[in-house]
Amino acid sequence: MSAACADTGFAATWFRRRAERELLLACLGCMALGFVLILGAEVTQGRQLGALDLLPLALYGLALAGVHLLLVVAGFRGDQVLTATVAFLSGFGLLAQYRMGDFHNDPGALTLGLVPAGFFVMTACALAFADGRYRVLARGLWFWAGLSLVLVAALLVTGQRFRGAVYALGFTTPTEVLKVTIPLALAAYLERQGPALARWHPRLPLPPWRALWLLLTLFAVLIGLLALQRDLGMMLILGLAFLVVLVSGTGRSGYLVWGLLAGTGLGALMLTFFEHGQRRIEAWLDPFQDPTDEGWQILQGLSGMYAGGLWGEGFGIGSPEYTPIAAADFIYSVIGEELGFLGCVVLVLFFLILLSREIALAGPGRCAFGRLLAAGLTTVLAVQTLLNIGGATKSIPLTGTTLPFISHGGASLLTAFAAVGLLLAISDGAPARPAKPSRATRGRAVGGPPADLKPRKVRGKAVPREAAAPSEA
Amino acid sequence: MTAIDPLHLFGSLVGSAAWPALRLVLHLAFFIAACVVLWRAWAWLRLTELRPAVGADGWLSWPLLVLTAAFLAVLGYQASWQLTGLFRPQFVAFMQSHDRREFNPAHRILRGRILDRHGRILAQSRELEGRVWRVYPFGPAFAHTVGYSDPRFGAIGAEAAANAQLNGATPQTLASWGELGRQLLTKTKQPRGQDLTLTLDSELQLLALQRLGERLGTVVLLRPKDGAVLVLANSPAFDPNRLGPELFRGPSPGTPLLNRATQGLYPPGSVFKVVMAAQAIEAGFSGTLNCPAEGFTTSRRYPPIRDHDYYSAQKAGRAWSGFGNLDLTTAFAESSNVFFAQLGVRYGRDAFARTGERFAFDRQVRLYPGTDRYGNLSTGRLPRLAPTDLYGLAQASIGQGRVLASPMHLATIAAAVANGGLAMRPRLLVQEPAASLGQYMTVQTAARLAGMMRKVVTQGTGRGINDAGLAIAGKTGTAESLRGAPHSWFIGFAPAGDPMLAVVVLVEHGGFGSSVAAPIARDLLVKALELRVGP
Repeated sequence: MSAACADTGFAATWFRRRAERELLLACLGCMALGFVLILGAEVTQGRQLGALDLLPLALYGLALAGVHLLLVVAGFRGDQVLTATVAFLSGFGLLAQYRMGDFHNDPGALTLGLVPAGFFVMTACALAFADGRYRVLARGLWFWAGLSLVLVAALLVTGQRFRGAVYALGFTTPTEVLKVTIPLALAAYLERQGPALARWHPRLPLPPWRALWLLLTLFAVLIGLLALQRDLGMMLILGLAFLVVLVSGTGRSGYLVWGLLAGTGLGALMLTFFEHGQRRIEAWLDPFQDPTDEGWQILQGLSGMYAGGLWGEGFGIGSPEYTPIAAADFIYSVIGEELGFLGCVVLVLFFLILLSREIALAGPGRCAFGRLLAAGLTTVLAVQTLLNIGGATKSIPLTGTTLPFISHGGASLLTAFAAVGLLLAISDGAPARPAKPSRATRGRAVGGPPADLKPRKVRGKAVPREAAAPSEA
Repeated sequence: MTAIDPLHLFGSLVGSAAWPALRLVLHLAFFIAACVVLWRAWAWLRLTELRPAVGADGWLSWPLLVLTAAFLAVLGYQASWQLTGLFRPQFVAFMQSHDRREFNPAHRILRGRILDRHGRILAQSRELEGRVWRVYPFGPAFAHTVGYSDPRFGAIGAEAAANAQLNGATPQTLASWGELGRQLLTKTKQPRGQDLTLTLDSELQLLALQRLGERLGTVVLLRPKDGAVLVLANSPAFDPNRLGPELFRGPSPGTPLLNRATQGLYPPGSVFKVVMAAQAIEAGFSGTLNCPAEGFTTSRRYPPIRDHDYYSAQKAGRAWSGFGNLDLTTAFAESSNVFFAQLGVRYGRDAFARTGERFAFDRQVRLYPGTDRYGNLSTGRLPRLAPTDLYGLAQASIGQGRVLASPMHLATIAAAVANGGLAMRPRLLVQEPAASLGQYMTVQTAARLAGMMRKVVTQGTGRGINDAGLAIAGKTGTAESLRGAPHSWFIGFAPAGDPMLAVVVLVEHGGFGSSVAAPIARDLLVKALELRVGP
C-alpha cells in the first residue's frame, strides 16, 4: 500500500535513507582500518595471509550493502541510526572475535556466516513486521510464554553443567532466545491486562492480586527454573525487564518498589543457599584475598586494561590470552587492553546512542504493544550491557552475561539482532494509510532534513495519537 | 598471475621498518574513523526524528539519563584501575608478580631508591635485559628495616610501607603530577618512583653490626627529641638479594627473619629497674630499705631473691654481708635485686599495672605508615598478677619472671628519661612528622632518674665504660634466661647533661651487661657524637 505513494519509489527511498548509507559506509571504512591493524599484527607474529583472511571483512561489507539495499527496495520508513549503530557494534565485535582467533583454525561457514546471518535476521524481522504488522505478535502471547518456559525446562533436563552454568548440545545457550520471547510475552500480556493491573487498592499501596496472580506465578516459575540453572545474569535481565514493562504498562511505579524489594529479598535468599554466589561476591569485594584463584580472572582482565592505558597497545598487539574466557565474558577488557580507555569510551557511547534511540521508541506516540515491547527489549539490552561491562571492570560482581553484538556466542548475537529487527519494525510506525493526504506535502522537504521523519509533526497533528493504532490487525 | 599480489605487498610492508610508525598512524586513524561515525550518528540522531513524532524531550528522557549516569559511573570506576591503577598498591603488586604481559608498565616501574639519612643507597632498582631487579647494596645489614620487594614473596618493611610512593603513585608536587600525565599519554612509559629517605645512619649501623659480630643480638640508637631511629641493627639477618623459599619455611637456626629490635620479646632484667625507680620516685619514696645478704622472699616456700654480689662472692668463696640499708639512688647504682623486689611488693600490683600502662607496655606501635603487622613495634608484655601472687610481683619488679620487653621499647624508655619524661614514637621515615608515644613520667622524675643513671656509670655497675671523654648515663642488665647464659643488656643516653642520643644494646646469652653490652653502647655513642648526628 505504501508503494502507492509518490515518495516511496526507489529513488525517493534511496534519497531518504542517505543517512543510513553514509553511516554504514563510514562503519565499513572504520572496520577496514581495524582489520588492517589486526592483519598487520598477525603478519608480524609470523602468520601467512591468504585470500581467505579477507573473507570476514568482505562478508561484513556485503551484509551491510545487503541490509541497506533490501531496506531501500522495500521502501522501509523506519529508523536509520539504529541500523548504523548496530552495524558499528557488530563490526567491532567481528574485529574483536577475529582478533581472538575465532576464524583462524577452522574458518567454517558457521563462524564466518554468523554476523551476516545476524544482519539477515534483523532485516527479515524489520521488514516482516514493518508497517504496523508487528502487532500480530501480540496474539501469540501464550506461545511466547510457553516457548520460554519449555526452553528453560528442557535445557535444565537435557543440558550439561560447565563452569557453573548449564549448556545445551554444542555449548549453545538456547535460553538466550528468552531475551526476545519474554519481552514479547510481557508486552502482549500488559497490553491486554494493563488497565486491570493499574487498579490498585484505593487506600493501601497494594497491587490488584486478582489480576496479577497468573502473571506472577508464571514469572516465579521462570525465575525459579533460571535459579536452578544458576543463571543469575538472565534472572536480573528478565526481572528488570518484567518490572519496567509492568510499570510502563500500568503507569504504577509502586510495582517498581515492590519488585525491587522482592528482588533484594530473593537475592539475599539465593546468596545464603548458593555458595557459588557467595564466592563471587567475595571475589568481587576483595579479589586480592585469593588473587591466584577466585580473583584471577578479574585481576587479569584489569591488568590487561592497565597495560592498555589511555590509547591501548593497538588492535592485535595485546595479550588477551592471559585472561580466561576473554572472548565471551571479558571481551570488554580485551578492548580496554588493545584500544585503551578511549576505545572503551567510544564503545560505550555507541551503546548509549543505540539505547537513546530505543528509549525514544518506547516513548509515547505508538500503540501500547509497540511501546511495551520496545521498553522490554531496551531494558534487556541496557541491563545486559551494564552487567557485562560492570562485571569486567569490577564495578559489580560477575554475572556471566555476554556483551551484546561484541561477545563470542551465536545465540546471543542472533537474539540481539532479532531484537533490533523488532525495534526497527516498531520504528516504522503504524500503517501509513490514514496519513496519505498529508503526504503530498512531502516533496517540499527534499533537501531539508530527511523526509521520512520530518513531516511527522504534521501527521501527529492530523491524526490523534491513539488513532495511530487502528484495529486493522 | 602477473599482477602484484596485494597480500604479498602488505606482507612486505609489515616487514619493513616503516611498519611501527604506520601502525601508530593506523591506530590513530581507526580512532578518528570511529569518532567520525560517532559524530555523524549523533548528527543524524538529531536531524531525524522517529515516527510518529515524539515529544521534544524524546531522546533526552529520564531513563536515558539514568542509563548514562550508570555507564559514566562504570567508566569512572574503570578509569580508577586502567588509568590510575598505580594508586592501588595491591593491584600493582599483583601485576608485578602475576601479569605476563611484557608491555605492562608495572613490570618496568623503576621503583624509587631507599636512602639513609646521608643519601647512601640502601635499595635501588636496576634494569637488566629488559627486566627490572631490586638491588640491596648492603645485603643483610638493613634487611629488617628496608625489607624487600620481590615478585614471588611480596614486600615487607619500608618497601611495603611506602610501596605507593616507591612506585611513583603519590604525586606531591605539580611536576610529579605532570610526570604521571606524561606516562599516561605516551607509549614510552617507564614510570619512575620516588625516593624514600630513612632516618638510619648507615655508618653507625655497620659499626653496630661489626661490634655485634657473630653474636645474636640487637642494637638500637635513636634521637630522644624526635624519635628518629639512627641504628636498628639485628643479628642475624637475611639477605634480601637472595630470597628463597627455605627462608620462610618454619623456624630456622637464629631466626634471621625476626626483627629482634621491634618484635623480639626478652626478659629485661635489671634494666627494668628504671621503670620501678620511676614508680618509686613518683610515689614519693624516700629513706632506705634493708637489703640483707640472705635476700628477700614473700614466703618460705619460694627461694629468696638475692643480689648478684652474693653469687659472685659465693663463687669466689668469700663471705658477703649484704648491702644493709640502701637508699634508692645507691640501690639503683648497685642494681640491688633485694631492694627493688621489696619496693615492688611494697607498692602492690595495682601500682605495678598502672606503671606498666603508663610506660606503654602491652601495645602495638606503628613504625611505618600503613597497617603492616610485620612493621609494628611490640612494646612488651607484663603479667596479670593474682592479688595473692606477691612472689610473682617481686620477680616482675626486677624484670624477671613473666615480664617481657622488646629492645626498641626499652630504647624509648631510656629516651624518655633523656627527654623530660616524654617518649617519642620511634620513626624510620624522614618524611613522617615526629609524634609522641606518651609521657612516661614527670619532668622532675625524669631529671632525678637521669642523675641516677649517670651515677650508674660513674660509680655503679657501669663503671667499666666511664673512661671515655663522654658523659654517658645508663643502666646495665643481666637477665636470666631459661636456656644458657643470661642476656646482656645496656640502655642509656649521652651526653648526660644534654642528651642527644639514646641507645639500647642486647646480646643474647652474652653474660654480664656491664662487660658485654655496655662497651658496644659506649663505642657507638662515641662514634655517633663524633659524627655530630644532630637533628
